[in-house]
Amino acid sequence: MEEKLSTVAKSFTSSPIQELSHLAQRCSAINLAEGFPDFPAPAHIKTAAVSAINSDFNQYRHVQGLCDHLAIMAKKMHGLDVNPLTDIAICCGQTEAFAAAVFAIIDRGDEVVLFDPSYETYEGCITMAGGIPVFVALDPPHWTLDPNKLLQSVTRRTKAIVLNSPQNPTGKVFSKDELETIAGVCRTWNCLAITDEVYEHITFENEKHISLASFSGMQERTIITSSLSKTFSVTGWRVGWAIAPAFIASAIRNIHVKITDSAPAPFQEAALTALRSPSEYFESLRRDYESKRDYIVKLLAGIGFKIEFKPQGSIFLFAEIPESCLLSDVEYVKELIKQAGVVAVPGRGFFHTNLSMKKISQEDFSYQERYIRFAFCKSDTTLAAAAQKLGKLSDATGRLKLHHSDT
Amino acid sequence: MQVQCTWTFPQMRFRHSTSSVLSLSEHLSESFGVRIGSGRGRSCGYPSFVPTMSTVSTEKDTVSTLSDSIQKTPRPLQVAKRLEKFKTTIFTQMSNLAIKHGAINLGQGFPNFDGPEFVKEAAIQAIKDGKNQYARGYGVQELNNAIAERFKKDTGLAVDPEKEVTVTSGCTEAIAATILGLINPGDEVILFAPFYDSYEATLSMAGANVKCVTLRPPNFAVPINELKSAISKNTRAVLINTPHNPTGKMFTREEMNAIASLCIENDVLVFTDEVYDKLAFEMDHISMASLPGMFERTVTMNSLGKTFSLTGWKIGWAIAPPHLTWGVRQAHAFLTFATSTPMQWATSVALRAPDSYYEELKRDYMKKKAILVEGLEAVGFKVFPSSGTYFVVVDHTPFGLENDIAFCEYLIEKVGVVAIPTSVFYLNPEDGKNLVRFTFCKDEETLKAAVKRMKEKLMRK
Repeated sequence: MEEKLSTVAKSFTSSPIQELSHLAQRCSAINLAEGFPDFPAPAHIKTAAVSAINSDFNQYRHVQGLCDHLAIMAKKMHGLDVNPLTDIAICCGQTEAFAAAVFAIIDRGDEVVLFDPSYETYEGCITMAGGIPVFVALDPPHWTLDPNKLLQSVTRRTKAIVLNSPQNPTGKVFSKDELETIAGVCRTWNCLAITDEVYEHITFENEKHISLASFSGMQERTIITSSLSKTFSVTGWRVGWAIAPAFIASAIRNIHVKITDSAPAPFQEAALTALRSPSEYFESLRRDYESKRDYIVKLLAGIGFKIEFKPQGSIFLFAEIPESCLLSDVEYVKELIKQAGVVAVPGRGFFHTNLSMKKISQEDFSYQERYIRFAFCKSDTTLAAAAQKLGKLSDATGRLKLHHSDT
Repeated sequence: MQVQCTWTFPQMRFRHSTSSVLSLSEHLSESFGVRIGSGRGRSCGYPSFVPTMSTVSTEKDTVSTLSDSIQKTPRPLQVAKRLEKFKTTIFTQMSNLAIKHGAINLGQGFPNFDGPEFVKEAAIQAIKDGKNQYARGYGVQELNNAIAERFKKDTGLAVDPEKEVTVTSGCTEAIAATILGLINPGDEVILFAPFYDSYEATLSMAGANVKCVTLRPPNFAVPINELKSAISKNTRAVLINTPHNPTGKMFTREEMNAIASLCIENDVLVFTDEVYDKLAFEMDHISMASLPGMFERTVTMNSLGKTFSLTGWKIGWAIAPPHLTWGVRQAHAFLTFATSTPMQWATSVALRAPDSYYEELKRDYMKKKAILVEGLEAVGFKVFPSSGTYFVVVDHTPFGLENDIAFCEYLIEKVGVVAIPTSVFYLNPEDGKNLVRFTFCKDEETLKAAVKRMKEKLMRK
């Protein structure tokens, strides 16, 4: 009966991130792998949700106030004029907003440019819609965008460019110049852009998140996707959105209605309260995450990790395995789980070998097996516990010593 | 081609299929009918409109090489061809008209009363207990267990909650994930018309070749001979909705047996949408999966919303043998990744409700149904028997309007009541022009008020 699976389904394997989480659970390891908080969601938002359930906001629902507020925020943060009646689609998380956006614009054979390393879900979505993902490698150690690499990857079949900034897994925030480069390509080649801006409120030091849509000629061709999840620590509520020119937003809305019909109603109500949080909320969000970032950077550097690139945003750190250690990323993480009781994600799952690029550039892509992604969206207690566990495995100079175990 | 890792070369897999892009869209235009407002009266299989927005292939041909193309003629930014099927739904259109005229809405299928306190309390408790982060992709274990337990009680089938149950954002997503996970472009899928509109749209997203078998009044029985000619070794799947929206028909044991043997004979999958299974009034609900030889080829889908009057929570599920569950889960992972966590916990409590809950649910709905049906008959509609769901389909022709849409508009504007025109549920809209659907998932006052308006203002011509 296996032949009953669709071609597309057969090509997918289960998420490596989820599999490691299961191993970690079995070993009771400290989970610095999956990107969700282990601290509580803000009280005022939970209260709003409880209130919504009690006030009987429990049937299929479209909360226009939510769109109104998103339009206000788009204007405030990025100077964008968004029509809340026509330009916004509320979906079950950014995941669904992205899926609906892809189904809305990608036809079989359309190419979609992505920046490597990248979150694993984009490719799967594009493939499911019959599109062809084309990866442009960002250059380590600072994950800079080489405009030539981008230009070489764009063809007349390129329908869209996907941009995730702040970026998972690297924590990179694309610079103004890089955004201008991408915008230039979109305008010249008449491509669309789909952005994933879920970490938009989590940037550090003086970094500001700039939306690609705010560049000249871009609003008319950009689909912005984002969600409540990371900003408000409610990854399990599934409230996200797409903001796009009316004809695309309408298409996304129609597809969303066919995929899930509506985002959970009480949480749409609570989202209104969330988005109206005072600026202090967003400031303390940044401050807290910045201090967690600093803590984990220090901790990992102290045990021999090369942190050439400190995250500028997001809740992730992409660290290179110490030179002295010859293990690959997967082997390292397995040992980390078994011996240190800490779990992280091997970086290779975020890289996508692109045959054409390899042939052209003769570059060395071996770095793709030397990175590990750590999530620092964890309570201070958890981070301290991780520090302690890793500390136990350090030698006299503080370098982490992982013993090869017999498996 | 079985590929082991997620990061191989998708280009290789799809290169051969880009040349068939044109033929896919051609055959899509052939198989599908039209939506409300644009050209009615086309039959199944008759070539329909050409996608209006697609000029990509011809414009691409004007671009010769990579290097001279920097300032090429910009092609119009366009949405995907698959969206030809996706217009604003009839439900939204009618709801907007209803609001404008202050009409009583017996159109859209969701209650105007709320769900039970014990379920809402469970959700609130879950939020307070901090269950607000990503759940396991295929469902919170407690819920998967509760679903398996309920299924055993309802059908006698024992399923593995870990390997055979997948939680989704409503049954709508279960349907989308099942179709996208198990249907290839060009696969033949059989639907029974009239059908819930998301089926056709999702099948079109998957590039399926849709065939339909029409159920006709007065009792919407399955035309077995037609089905026999429709199903062949080329058929990939049959989609069954029982109890049935919009007609309220419940597939009988005879019909289910006949369909089952055709599916076994031709090695066809069955996808069942059973969201109204607890609103079974005139006969027992039968799950296809419980018939001999059928579990291994059936995906059984259901949800919280209709049974517990919480349609906005979006908790649904798909039950299927492991090899089919695999496909459903793959697609689900890319559609929504995970389902609302606190609501899942609440659903696990809901599904363990005592029998008395379900008995009271049925009693209440039967009372409501009586109010509506008596009212509709008194007003002069020909009311068809509805065995289940909270829908009733009627023939409106005694009132002299030319078709279902005209009748519904008249009903809203002149009488102040909303019904749904059923032509939108057919591949061939002509088949539905005499019928409209009313719902009775409203409180008794609302139903009585609607009946009163119709008695006063709907003149029998």
